[in-house]
Order: sequence, then C-alpha cells, then structure tokens
Amino acid sequence: MKNRLRVLRAELDWSQAHLAERLGVSRQTVNAIETGKYDPSLPLAFTIARTFNRHIEEIFEFNEKVPAARGLAPTRAGL
Amino acid sequence: MSEQQPNPDPAEAPIEPLYTHPASPFLRTDSTAPKHVDMPVLPAVASTWVTYRTQIEFGLAMLAYLMILVGSVTVLQSNPNAPWRYVVAVLPVVPAALVLSIFVRALTHLDEMQKRIQMQAFGFSLGATALLTFGYGFLEGVGLPHLSWTFVLPLMAILWGVGTAIFTLRYR
Repeated sequence: MKNRLRVLRAELDWSQAHLAERLGVSRQTVNAIETGKYDPSLPLAFTIARTFNRHIEEIFEFNEKVPAARGLAPTRAGL
Repeated sequence: MSEQQPNPDPAEAPIEPLYTHPASPFLRTDSTAPKHVDMPVLPAVASTWVTYRTQIEFGLAMLAYLMILVGSVTVLQSNPNAPWRYVVAVLPVVPAALVLSIFVRALTHLDEMQKRIQMQAFGFSLGATALLTFGYGFLEGVGLPHLSWTFVLPLMAILWGVGTAIFTLRYR
C-alpha cells in the first residue's frame, strides 16, 4: 500500500521520532509504514489520519494490483 | 523602500494554487477536512528509569534469580538430607516467575509491528530448535555423546535473538 506519510510529515517538519511519539508506536514502525514495508492496522491508520487532520484515503492509496476486488459490490445506484 | 514594492525576483514570489485565481477554470477538488480531534500527546520521556524501566527491572530480577540460585545450591550442598531441602531447591522459581511476569508485560507494551516481529521470531525459534534438537537426537542414536536437556532453552533463546534480528531487518 502506497502512502503520503513522508510528505505530510515533511510539511509539518516533524521527525519520525516525533510522529512515533504522537502515535504511540516506535520510530521503526513509522519508518516501516513510510517505506511501505508494513501496512498499519485500521485503528492505527485512523489514528494517523486524525493526527494529520485528513481522511484515510488522502494518506493511504490502495494498490489496485492486489486481486482483492473481484468485481465491485453493487452500489445503491446500480440496484 | 516600502513593503508594498513587489519582489523583483520571481523565484522568491509565493506560489499560488491554480484554483485561487478568480478566472481559473480549475476547481478545488480537495475533500473537506474531517473535524479536528485533539489527539492525546504522550508525555516526554522523563528519565533513564522511564526509558529503560523494563530492562532495569529485568536485570534486577535476573540478578535476584542468580543470587537465590547460588544461595540455594550452597545451602543444599551443606545440608543434603535436611527435610526442608525440597523447599530450598524450588526457591529460585520465585524470582524466575518475576522475570516471566516482567517479560510478558514488556510483550504487551510492544506496538503492532513489534508484536508481529516477535511472533515471527518466536515461531522461527520454536521451529529451528525443534529441527536442531531432533537432528542431534538422531545423531545421538548412532553414537554421538548425550547432551543435557538444559541446552534446549539457551538454544531457543539464541535462536529467538537471531529471529528478532532477521525479521527486524526485513521491515527496515
């Protein structure tokens, strides 16, 4: 999963350690999320979004190559 | 020289987003920001004790374990037939239980990625220990010297450390 964490962090001039402290995780975890090597849990992703005052989709980008969506679920408009 | 004077260097001028110009055909498509929620900020690290509390507690508990173990063995050697020897022999289990509780508490305080790393390291350590002990067991069957069972736990601990290093590097 791609994310804009590094950019958002740079905008606020926060260090990885500072962000880690705000999120209550280790600096290594922040680094692993930024480099895309670790996908955070949903609660942590929400905490990150709230910390930056953004929506989750503005920070994390779902990789469409992952074969998770086998046909989209029918929307209300499509029914 | 007034402050109204425009900056002669265009590189120094502030950059305006395209949509701010009145005649701009661009629409601002940013979604509205969610309601601001004040996140609790953890207090700054106060002292070495706070930072290394678990390590210090662990070290003290291990020290207590070693002291009681040595004391217990010394007392038992001089009183091999005393009726209370069972109680003295089992006494080192008390500080060992303290070590266990500190260890388990330290595990619960890890963050989610560290927990995943530890889970993988424990799995690696368990499997690799099984592999090595069974392998050596087969070799004992054909004549290699018998090793004490007390080697199993140190082997597992070393492999756990190796596993932690491997899986930490994988997330770096």
